[in-house]
Amino acid sequence: MKIRRITAVAATLAASALVLSACDTPDTSSTDSGLDTGTAVTVGWNQGFYEYNEDSATGNATANANIRYLMNDYVNYYDGDLNLVPNESFASYQVTSEDPLTVEYTFTDDASWSDGTPVDATDMLLSWVALSGHFNTAEFVQSFDDEGNVVWLYPEDSENAGEEVPQEEIENNVFFNFTSGNIGLIEETPTISEDGKTITFVYSQPFADWEDNLDVGVPAHVVAMHALDIEDPQEAKDAFVDAVVNNDAEALAPISDFWNNGFAFGDTLPEDESLYLSSGPYIMTDFVRDQYVTLEAREDYTGDHQPQIETITVRYSEDPMAQVQALENGELDLISPQASADTLQALEALGGDFDVITDDAAVYEHVDLMFTNDGPFDPATYDGDEETALAVRQAFLKLIPRQDIVDRIISPLNPEANVRSSYTAIPGSPNYDQIVGANGMDELFPLELDREGAAQLLEDAGVETPIQVRVLTAAENVRRQEQLALITESVQQDGLFEIIDESSGEWGSLLADPSGYDASMFGWQSTSTAVSESAANFETGGGNNFGDFRDERVDELYDELAVTTDAARQAEILAEVETILVEQGFGVTLYQHPGVHGFNARLQGVDPISISPTIFWNFWEWETDLTGDEDGEDAES
Amino acid sequence: MLTFIVRRVLIGIGILFVSSLIMYVLVDFTIDPLEDLRLSTDPSKDLQIEQRIELLNLNDPVLLRYLWWLGAFVTGDLGTAWTTGRDVADILAAAIVSTVQLVTAATVLAIFLGIAVGIVSALRQYTTFDYLITFLSFLLYSLPSFWIAVLLKQWGAIGYNDFLRDPVIAIPVILGIALVMGLVWSLAFGGDVRRRLTVGASAAGVTIAVLLYIQLTDWWSQPNIGPVLLAVSSLAIALGVTTLSSGLRNRRALYTSLTVAVLGIALWYPMQFGFYYLGAWGVMNWATALGLGVLAALVGAGVGLLFRGPDWRISARTGALTAVPVATLIFIDRVMQVWDDYMASNIIRGRPIATIGDRTPNLEGDFWVTTLDQYTHLLLPTISLMLLSFAGYTRYARGSMLEVMNQDYIRTARAKGLTERTVVMRHGFRNSLIPMATIVPIDIITLIGGAIITENIFNRPGMGQMFLRHLDENDIEPVMAYLIIVAFLAIVANIVADLIYAVLDPRIRVNA
Repeated sequence: MKIRRITAVAATLAASALVLSACDTPDTSSTDSGLDTGTAVTVGWNQGFYEYNEDSATGNATANANIRYLMNDYVNYYDGDLNLVPNESFASYQVTSEDPLTVEYTFTDDASWSDGTPVDATDMLLSWVALSGHFNTAEFVQSFDDEGNVVWLYPEDSENAGEEVPQEEIENNVFFNFTSGNIGLIEETPTISEDGKTITFVYSQPFADWEDNLDVGVPAHVVAMHALDIEDPQEAKDAFVDAVVNNDAEALAPISDFWNNGFAFGDTLPEDESLYLSSGPYIMTDFVRDQYVTLEAREDYTGDHQPQIETITVRYSEDPMAQVQALENGELDLISPQASADTLQALEALGGDFDVITDDAAVYEHVDLMFTNDGPFDPATYDGDEETALAVRQAFLKLIPRQDIVDRIISPLNPEANVRSSYTAIPGSPNYDQIVGANGMDELFPLELDREGAAQLLEDAGVETPIQVRVLTAAENVRRQEQLALITESVQQDGLFEIIDESSGEWGSLLADPSGYDASMFGWQSTSTAVSESAANFETGGGNNFGDFRDERVDELYDELAVTTDAARQAEILAEVETILVEQGFGVTLYQHPGVHGFNARLQGVDPISISPTIFWNFWEWETDLTGDEDGEDAES
Repeated sequence: MLTFIVRRVLIGIGILFVSSLIMYVLVDFTIDPLEDLRLSTDPSKDLQIEQRIELLNLNDPVLLRYLWWLGAFVTGDLGTAWTTGRDVADILAAAIVSTVQLVTAATVLAIFLGIAVGIVSALRQYTTFDYLITFLSFLLYSLPSFWIAVLLKQWGAIGYNDFLRDPVIAIPVILGIALVMGLVWSLAFGGDVRRRLTVGASAAGVTIAVLLYIQLTDWWSQPNIGPVLLAVSSLAIALGVTTLSSGLRNRRALYTSLTVAVLGIALWYPMQFGFYYLGAWGVMNWATALGLGVLAALVGAGVGLLFRGPDWRISARTGALTAVPVATLIFIDRVMQVWDDYMASNIIRGRPIATIGDRTPNLEGDFWVTTLDQYTHLLLPTISLMLLSFAGYTRYARGSMLEVMNQDYIRTARAKGLTERTVVMRHGFRNSLIPMATIVPIDIITLIGGAIITENIFNRPGMGQMFLRHLDENDIEPVMAYLIIVAFLAIVANIVADLIYAVLDPRIRVNA
């Protein structure tokens, strides 16, 4: 009986549920689940976007710069041959005076942020204010008082060193957290035209790379509106300009604070749309931290870089093999994984539906010698005999198997790889052939090696062989260890030199102390084709001149280069600098690091360049039919 | 007991402090916050280095920086990641959610399957099945996780997605699979030759039937449970649960579970409307889903209660244990209903199983689509984590079950004429779980901190990923927060394991 009762209860329950539910029929057909049906191209990148301000100390990363590049127009960009091309639809610029160097930027009437506010001189003014560092007030030192509270003291080099800073001054502390030395060369506050479209900068000294120096960063009106609590964009811009003209620390302090921190993203797209405005072809429509950022083509964009793909999604994916498999699985359409033989092999095994491009990346490998560390390359070792030290340097460099390294280590990754024979010019950049033709590196340190010449040099110099050379390079880097093995084999072959392996995982910090090594081997990264970038490597006392190389003529040439704006003369100067570096046995360059890019064959127009923004530079030329599902495609054909 | 807890907690706090000091110094020794600037070619490199040193107080001794960090940490300020300017608390909040999502399913499945297989393996000690499981678990145990991940992606994602384009399994392959399944089941059941043959043949038959059903109904392209499969599986669940929980001879329990199964089948149709309205009211989320699961368990227990009888507790337990899987089936069925739309979406492009990330970008959909999307992204990392811990659990469960089954009280239980099911399930199985109680909490903790490789390869933004990235970027505060949390959880897990042990096993006294 009991059981029957229970069954009855259950049946009643079920039946009543049926009856209740019959009141209204839900529509569970396929249109109901709310799926989005638009699609496009997905790019994999090894770091996720996290900050809109690509110029701040925290936001300064390629992951942010790439996305900004898709979202914004800039006054110029690098094309496929590494020429700097002005973007006339956004702004035009010209040098109006050579002495003092005066550059005038004029924004077009069409240039505007996606909220409708025009892009104008004020936006560029903000870049200068922030990056020049001229408006930063004194930095204070954090300390603790007797009760353990945080207090701020004046730094040691100030008048009131050690004294406590008054609260008012702390609040009015202007500090933009990233400073660019090149933009700092403009000391005078620029002038803005009546209509606000033109801004004129006067450099305090001539500067060779002025064209690659200034650009528009974050929108000035957004910064001023947030920092100064103003509602109207134009009013906010005016208030900002006033603050700059009057050097009003009280107003600039919150502006600097917002510039530093205001554009950092959280886990999802900020609610405030003004924090990710676009002035270019794409606008951000979705963002999930460490996962992806979605950009959609702007309908109201009128500039020259009209994109052909509606949506570009950039996904975070770090592991190279994971990227290749995601490409094969259709989750990514374009990848630029870290190049290795395994990655390339996996990419090539994907078959005809996928294309692979191998090319040069931005980093070049080189060997440097130390001049003043009492080692074998230091004249002091031979009682100040410059000639002997030079002979030893040249003999050593003559034996470095540059061609062999490229053939055995790099060619498998990039079949078109060549030995790089210039200290300053990127292969494929406009100056490269001219400089290599002039510098004589391949004659003095021939690719086929000059064993007899090396032996002769050492014999003439009368030094005792084998000469011990301590080499510092990255211990965990397999490729560098292979290079070191090839070098060791070559230079020890005739008993002229003996390599002492000083490889270390801490090589980066050990570089600064040349007493621990005689030769180093690592990579320099080129971030632009700016000609003055190399000064720090070769000038006396330069920040990256670890070997303490000194040559008066080189210093003179760099001083001249810094103030030379004529491209032809720039190339001549660099050629002369390199000739001296070769003759003096500064070191040799080996090769450009290989880059590997894989993409779905249905994506066309990918043509990476070696420097940032690498694969993205010509995104407006990309084309694809990856826009519909399989069925949709059949319907079209 | 209280003194024990207090003592352990105090010792734990002490360990935490000492280890935090050691870790801080070690991490500081390892990282180089100036790394990226050392090779910078920026003309203002020196200024930038100076600013960085100022920002991170790098000129102060490490112990002083440790004290500053500790002072902030104990007052609730976990610090800031200087590389991105983000609060460590925010970073952690996001990372923990992702990791818990990943390890929950993997751990539950691994424990469930591992213990089940381990116990069967112990009951069939030194049979072919036992050797097979032993071989398999050692094989899985020794596989590196990055390699499993790559293989899973190649076959489980790329291979399976390719297969879905034209989902046909050849007849010989079906026969082969059936043969293997029949062999495994006949070995697992054991017994005399006749019994083995019966079990093997029926297992093979069921496999063929299922595969043919899948093939003929185009189930691969349109996977669904539907009322028919739901009815079959629910009844099977009812029988299975009753067998394990009380034995089929306990009629009240049997009727309870069958009633629950029938109730579930009857509720399938109304639940379609229920889910629809929950969605329409905007309350369909994981909390609601879990609430419905709890409700199902309560209803199941209630049905058992209604059958009364002297052993109503057993009926109630059986009812609840049946209700949860049946409710889960209804839920899964609803998720599967969006499969068609999901597959057809041109973001998915007919390739549902994902290899990277924790969601498909730009996929806008309701709760069910999101759930399905999470599933397709969780599947492979979960399997890869599961395979590793499954192997371990099998070994532990087998060992402890063997130990228990050789005890005197098992012989006594058998001697007094209890059925083998009662001996194994009530006297053997339960006691064999005691050692597991010490292993499971510690294992869960290790998983939360230690899914580093899996998270990295599958690009899941969890704790391990966060730790690795910040260590790589020389960002000490997030790294320290991670290490402290893992250390804290490890200490807690140890205390909890000790307490559980004491509660479960009366022979252990914590105050001793």
